[in-house]
Amino acid sequence: MKQKIFIIAGLVLLVIVIVIMVRDLFSSKKEDQKNPYDYKLNELKKTAGKQIAYNEALSFRTGLEEIHAIACGAGDRIFVGGSKGVEIFEKDGKPAGKFGFEGFASSLAMDKKGDFFIGMQDHVEVYSPEGKLLKKWNGISPESFLTSIAVSDSFVFVADYGKRAVYRYDHEGRLINRIGEKDPEKKVPGFIVPSPYFDLAIRYNHELWVANTGRHSMEQFSYDGTMNSAWGEASMAIDGFCGCCNPSHFAFLHDGSFVTSEKGIERVKIYSPKGEFKCIVAPPSAFTEGTRGLDLAVDSRDRIIVLDPERKQVRIFVKK
Amino acid sequence: MDKSRTSYPVSRTLYFVHRIIPGLLFLLLPLITLPIQRFPKPEFESAYTQPQTFIPTPRAEFLAYLDVFVLLISLGVVTWLVLKKRSRLWVFFMSLFSLAYFGFYREGCVCSIGSIQNVSLALFDHSFILPLSVLAFFLLPLIFTLFFGRTFCASVCPFGAIQDLVAFKPQPLGSRLNTVLGIIPYLYLGLAVLFAATGTDFIICRYDPFVGIFRFNASFGMFLFTGILLLSGVFIARPYCRFLCPYGVLLNWTSRFSLRHLSITPAECIQCRLCESSCPYDAIDYPVTDKSPESRPVMVRKMMILTLLVPFLVLIFGYAGSRMQDTLAGVDARVKLAKEVMALSRIQDAGYGMQDESFEIKAYKASGKTESQVYSEASAVLKKFYFGGWLFGGFTGLVIALLIAGRMLPVYRKDYVTNKGRCFSCARCTDYCPIKS
Amino acid sequence: MPGRREFLNTLMRGGILAALGLLSGAVIFRSRDEKSCSYGFDCSGCSRSKSCMLPAALEARQMVWQLDMTKCIQCGRCATNCVMSPSAVKCTHAFAMCGYCDLCGGYFKPGTKTLTTAAENQLCPTNALKRKFIEDPFFEYTIDEELCIGCGKCVKGCGAFGNGSLQLQVRHDRCKNCNECSIARSCPAQAFTRVPANKPSLLRGLGPELPKETAKKNQANG
Ligand code: SF4
Ligand code: SF4
Ligand code: SF4
Ligand code: SF4
Repeated sequence: MKQKIFIIAGLVLLVIVIVIMVRDLFSSKKEDQKNPYDYKLNELKKTAGKQIAYNEALSFRTGLEEIHAIACGAGDRIFVGGSKGVEIFEKDGKPAGKFGFEGFASSLAMDKKGDFFIGMQDHVEVYSPEGKLLKKWNGISPESFLTSIAVSDSFVFVADYGKRAVYRYDHEGRLINRIGEKDPEKKVPGFIVPSPYFDLAIRYNHELWVANTGRHSMEQFSYDGTMNSAWGEASMAIDGFCGCCNPSHFAFLHDGSFVTSEKGIERVKIYSPKGEFKCIVAPPSAFTEGTRGLDLAVDSRDRIIVLDPERKQVRIFVKK
Repeated sequence: MDKSRTSYPVSRTLYFVHRIIPGLLFLLLPLITLPIQRFPKPEFESAYTQPQTFIPTPRAEFLAYLDVFVLLISLGVVTWLVLKKRSRLWVFFMSLFSLAYFGFYREGCVCSIGSIQNVSLALFDHSFILPLSVLAFFLLPLIFTLFFGRTFCASVCPFGAIQDLVAFKPQPLGSRLNTVLGIIPYLYLGLAVLFAATGTDFIICRYDPFVGIFRFNASFGMFLFTGILLLSGVFIARPYCRFLCPYGVLLNWTSRFSLRHLSITPAECIQCRLCESSCPYDAIDYPVTDKSPESRPVMVRKMMILTLLVPFLVLIFGYAGSRMQDTLAGVDARVKLAKEVMALSRIQDAGYGMQDESFEIKAYKASGKTESQVYSEASAVLKKFYFGGWLFGGFTGLVIALLIAGRMLPVYRKDYVTNKGRCFSCARCTDYCPIKS
Repeated sequence: MPGRREFLNTLMRGGILAALGLLSGAVIFRSRDEKSCSYGFDCSGCSRSKSCMLPAALEARQMVWQLDMTKCIQCGRCATNCVMSPSAVKCTHAFAMCGYCDLCGGYFKPGTKTLTTAAENQLCPTNALKRKFIEDPFFEYTIDEELCIGCGKCVKGCGAFGNGSLQLQVRHDRCKNCNECSIARSCPAQAFTRVPANKPSLLRGLGPELPKETAKKNQANG
């Protein structure tokens, strides 16, 4: 009797073991989908709807393989620079022509006449409005990578991510001086640019602003290189600049307000001319995750033109 | 601690700067494919030197060969203890050594049982690298068994050793129960080879009940599983070895043809019946003398039934196996993913918005694979499981047919002898035999 | 009768031996891709590419588990599914890739206002990530291995906002090198692979240990 009980006990236990194995092997239950250590990136991307003051009015695709730079010119025409060429669109998105070249336009700007100043990796090329190569400036250095270019009435400013410097040229391509190198005497902290986004722009046709992304600050320089003012705060919150290095791009509205774009948490925002957060143009949900390099332009009616390299689109936002 | 770490010399750093970083940038910033020269390292002005990233080295490779050596020596010693010394006590001490070395020191992996899967996978997947030490772990016990019986089971295998320690109240199960339960290892072996060869899973390792003990580290569920099995092992001696172990199947069949094997008595059996219940594993075959030899027509009929039964069972089970294709393939991660992707696209087609995505779907989206890539991978796996199902089913049919045959055919046995297939050569019974030389 | 039995036994023994021999031969000298060797190296420059088969088979290395960060999505299973607790997977810092950012996406909790080392600012659940001021504006981040549980939170933060220099890796001083890694089985991204024991790292940014596909991609992109 005792023997029987022992045998049955042993067998039952053995059968339990086998049933556990078989059930576990063939069960279709999914792996645990809870991550106790989840980093809720999406939470970060939630924005208060009422802060969003802009609507997407229009978007259209570009035909270039890779796109990198955007600018807005006379007649609110939109110019997109990228691999092997520049595409031109009317303000309603209709194609209005294009021209090609070897290489890759990493930055793009126009002067009053409509001549193109195109940053090609390590040098600048100037093209006529018809797309004829007018002049090829000297290369700066093999490490150079020109991420931004801006043209004022008498000067051309170029931001070089590779050298972490800003150069002032005249329109003929003669280097006048370098701006923004670390200089304790002039109280210039120097540029920290951990990733290849390094933008500059000119406000009111005379104020040079540079995004010192590693310090999360917008800095204003005199043409001789003196730093006059700076603002900006590192923060994941909506009113700061997130991540290691932001804003990746910026542009100005006509009242002097800043339009900024960020990577990491993809968003486009507006700051007052003094640098106070005003509103959101496009929340993170408007972009594909991982989008980087949202170049910005503003047209004469203060429409905000965003270059979305992930979706290969030009997207235009207007005030609600 | 520091000694076990490898640092990366400067040349690698240079390599990194010139070759790898541009590529890395490409990965990090998919849109900037321009030939950027350098990844910008901060320009430190203080005397800061960047620490090197340390990478701990794995266990030294020669130790794997030391393991093989220890295995070889242990097998030799145990074989000698069993066949020449015929001493249970020494075999027991040896099993403690194996438990310490292969169990607690080596912490299980790779063991001979699991190596079945490595060998199967290497046979079918040419890119899978089978270290020679693993092959040795697979081969050595089989070769020893082929010549001397299952001395590996006696006291080299740490699994057997640990179960032997808890077998307090072993009960005889009777031959029918032994035969029926004895089918399970064949199924386990078939499935293990099937899943390994298709690159799906190593189920022997997945359900390895003892490795958690060897490492003093396992989840609660795993400990429970081990506990239940060990508890059953109190009454059914060595339940894993007898009714689960897939390697045992191979050992069983090689042992049947072994050149030499432990015998209960060193000389002539005197039918004293002292050893009759000495074996905790029901591995002693009793004398069968009273059966009158069957008449010729009966034998012929039995043989005819068997010759028909074997192919019939093989086909039936093979077919059944091929029908189980979906169930079997459902274990495979690639097939699971394809199912999920399919369900997802169905939901999207039906116009429902975002669902809570599983990690699998998230990873699939991040990988940039296309839907059709996922499907074609899965259908290749499914196809393997169709043929695998036939083979697995056919194998099962064959096993069952042979077991039936084994029970149908007459046996004649004069003495008490060990069953060469099932005997673990543990040498317990020798202690019971009154004849000592 | 016994004679015949003996003979059959011997025959079977010979058969089994031959079968085992064949099997071993097949798995050792299995055919392999001519162009790429089984170690995952690029063999184009290798001088013995033609005669590689035999020696490679004989010097077959021990293999260990490693995870490929290009696939990993930081699901957290590395922390929970290892047979060891805490996990054998830990965060490793490839300093050479680090931007030394003040606002480190891997160090700070999202929404942190003041960038101090206060415990409530830290993203890491075990405060294993240490921050040290180097010089304005750079900070060095190191991992206290004893504390790290391999959860991948900081890795995700660094990947999203920084350079991706914080990476999960199987630490082979802890890893038991299970015959089948139980994380590998449940990894949704199938990021785990076996790598040769003498090249145990798949850390990005350290050189030749890059996985095959990545190396290829690199070449393709100059
Ligand atoms: S040696 Fe004897 S007691 Fe041990 S398993 Fe074999 S028959 Fe049983
Ligand atoms: S299980 Fe896979 S995806 Fe998840 S954290 Fe580990 S490597 Fe990454
Ligand atoms: S966040 Fe997680 S992975 Fe990173 S250091 Fe802390 S425990 Fe390790
Ligand atoms: S091989 Fe084992 S110990 Fe190592 S990481 Fe995988 S589960 Fe953990």
